[in-house]
Amino acid sequence: MESFINAIVSGLISGSLYAAMALGLTIIYGISRIFNFGHGVIALIGAYTAWIFVQNSKIADMSLLLGILVTIAFLFLLGFLLYRYAMNPLMKKPNWDISTVLFMLGLGILLENVILQIFGPRVKSIPVFKEGYIRIGVVQINWHEIIIIFIVIIAIILLNVFFKRTRIGQAMRAVAQSIPGAQVVGIDIEKIFSYTFGLAFVVTGISGILLGTKYYMNPHIGWEWMVKGFVIVSFGGLGSTNGAIYAAIILGVVEALATLFLGAMWVWPIWFAIFMVVLLIRPQGILGGRA
Amino acid sequence: MLKVDAINGYYADLHVIKDLSLRIEKREVVALFGPNGHGKSTLLKLLCGLQHPRSGSVYFNSEEITAYPAHKIVELGIAYIPEERNLFGDMTVMENLNLGAYNKRAHGSISQNLEFVFEVFPRLLERKNQLTSTLSGGESRMVAVARGLMSEPSLLMVDEPSIGLSPSLRNSVFEALAKINREKGITLLIVEQEIRDALSMANRVYMIKKGQILFEKPAAEVDIDEIEKAYF
Repeated sequence: MESFINAIVSGLISGSLYAAMALGLTIIYGISRIFNFGHGVIALIGAYTAWIFVQNSKIADMSLLLGILVTIAFLFLLGFLLYRYAMNPLMKKPNWDISTVLFMLGLGILLENVILQIFGPRVKSIPVFKEGYIRIGVVQINWHEIIIIFIVIIAIILLNVFFKRTRIGQAMRAVAQSIPGAQVVGIDIEKIFSYTFGLAFVVTGISGILLGTKYYMNPHIGWEWMVKGFVIVSFGGLGSTNGAIYAAIILGVVEALATLFLGAMWVWPIWFAIFMVVLLIRPQGILGGRA
Repeated sequence: MLKVDAINGYYADLHVIKDLSLRIEKREVVALFGPNGHGKSTLLKLLCGLQHPRSGSVYFNSEEITAYPAHKIVELGIAYIPEERNLFGDMTVMENLNLGAYNKRAHGSISQNLEFVFEVFPRLLERKNQLTSTLSGGESRMVAVARGLMSEPSLLMVDEPSIGLSPSLRNSVFEALAKINREKGITLLIVEQEIRDALSMANRVYMIKKGQILFEKPAAEVDIDEIEKAYF
């Protein structure tokens, strides 16, 4: 019983990490209809950028905060420019849905190799936010994981406020719901798409940093992160941010229970079995629809 | 106010608008008639920047706007109400209206315009917190017109405002449009199949056929038979 409860808790922790990771993917898809096949590598770029700032420290300090701020600025710019100079011209041509996917896939492979050249193939990780743990009854949680969950919850709240209350956030929702509608009310959709890419890359990069603190990273792990992200957003409903959050939590708990009862090697088969069954029964995912 | 000079427009690869010219004066109500598939909707899309002419030019208050993107044209004061409505279905009526005032030009007059919109369409006040995907056809049409008004236009172009509406709803939409013109001084360009209704409020009429202007007349000199004949 004790190990069962602890498994649930650890499932909720990885679930919140997966939620953070899937958000960037679902934001881009929900608003621009582009499926970002470079998603995992973008998360990895976030993690490696932050790692530069903390490579010599054992425990996170102000240098990690600085690393996070630089990552945010860098990834926003990367997303913004990538939309402007690559996605936007591609979207003006026929078959843009395929060409953007292939472009992002190619860019992902290119960047993976750039990371390999710069940082080398060895496994790295980002130091934890705070060492030690607390005990609540039978449940034992690391401080670090509590902080991760806290960051994810804050991020989700901030995103919600942004989409509901700010002018640009509302414009993003408008574009997600009707592109011609957005155009006739005077929204510059190309500007909104470029901000969307900037925002989604920032969210993705932060999720990469969190993953880098809890697990480890190497130049190739981005693809594994991306596949998990794809399963989560398809399971939750493409373009639905709430769906992605629920799906991530469910799959996180499934992962922890599968590891507990069957062993870690069963996680992927069970994930994909659930995923395919859900797709067959409900192709639009549990909360299908637009953002 | 609006001057269209020999534009050519395409729908996919079809040459839909052919060397078409027209003009609209300030405060006028202009009705645009013509059979389906002869270029009325394409013409409006060309004027509001959702599509662009391959040749010819469009001037708005003497400024050439031919190649402007849609959002820039909205900011100059042209609002376009599409036949498809294109509402934001997962947002409330109020959120839709607020987004109607997205452009900078409209910021200063949001509360004033909201008041006017609710005066013209009292129904929307009752429905203001409802998601627009749950509204009836007539209510959706009202939101589309109201959202267009929120952009503080000086020229409002409406595509088939009465399509799919019951006669009583149709009347209230036309009354609303007349009020918009009379009280706000907003110039109207109306594309309509309900010839009688549109004719009764129009100052001038353009008849479009095969992408060209067949004739142009003051509304008072038009008789309905003449228009109906042109449809065949």
